[in-house]
Amino acid sequence: MTTVLIVDDSSIMRRTIEKNLTGYDLEVIGTVSNGVEALEVVQEKKPDVITLDITMPEMDGITCLEGIMEIHPEAKVMIITALSDKLTGLLALDKGARGFLYKPVSAESLQKAFDKLLSRNV
Amino acid sequence: MYKMERRREEFEATCKLFIDSVSNYFKVLTEVDSEMSIPYLKETEDLKLKDFTGMIRVSGNRKGFVYFSAEKNMLVDLISMFIGIDEPSNEDILDMAGEISNVVAGNVRANLGTNFMISVPVVFEGNPDELQFPSNRSVYVIPIKWKNYEAYVVVGFE
Repeated sequence: MTTVLIVDDSSIMRRTIEKNLTGYDLEVIGTVSNGVEALEVVQEKKPDVITLDITMPEMDGITCLEGIMEIHPEAKVMIITALSDKLTGLLALDKGARGFLYKPVSAESLQKAFDKLLSRNV
Repeated sequence: MYKMERRREEFEATCKLFIDSVSNYFKVLTEVDSEMSIPYLKETEDLKLKDFTGMIRVSGNRKGFVYFSAEKNMLVDLISMFIGIDEPSNEDILDMAGEISNVVAGNVRANLGTNFMISVPVVFEGNPDELQFPSNRSVYVIPIKWKNYEAYVVVGFE
């Protein structure tokens, strides 16, 4: 089963993402609120998919993404952020993210992005 | 005269960015449109916040802050809609206010670019004594109504 780690400093967002992924053949193996905690879980559990916020305390999502790519480059990282400028998206993709969603994210757009992320072998 | 005209144009342009950002938030996530009243300028000394507030500090090419301040029942209704909890904790309600402020401020980067840098949200309940707005500064207040609940966005830039 595909394992998922959800990283967002908002607990409401973490629970919303988890709720919207119900019905997928996925196991959410962790939900954490910053990049430092995320890297610990990645190191220990090597999740297949990671949803990653950018604006977070302790360590932001872009720095965390760099760390993830060093520890576990096979991880499929989907950035979910309120930072809606194009440069941030391009930067994240350049650093190894496989998908990018701008908040606010509806259930439909999250599921569509997950369908795409899980179906392609990239 | 020219300066005043310039200031008015800047006020309207900035308000429009935040109005669009708030409208988009409610439209995408709730499918119920929000209504905005006419934005106005207010002195920070007279500013009273609503029940719960998320504040974002802005740095980079603009310096200042953005607040999203809402009555409790609006945030409770949104939490119920998003995760199905009808009696959320105060922590959840604060988190909701913080997340909305993050999205509202973050989304204007589509227009203002990466040099419009935002902090993580600071959240609080009511009007805490230790909360100090920059003095002698006018802030933009954008009143919002969603399903008869009230909130507002407060924007203050140098």
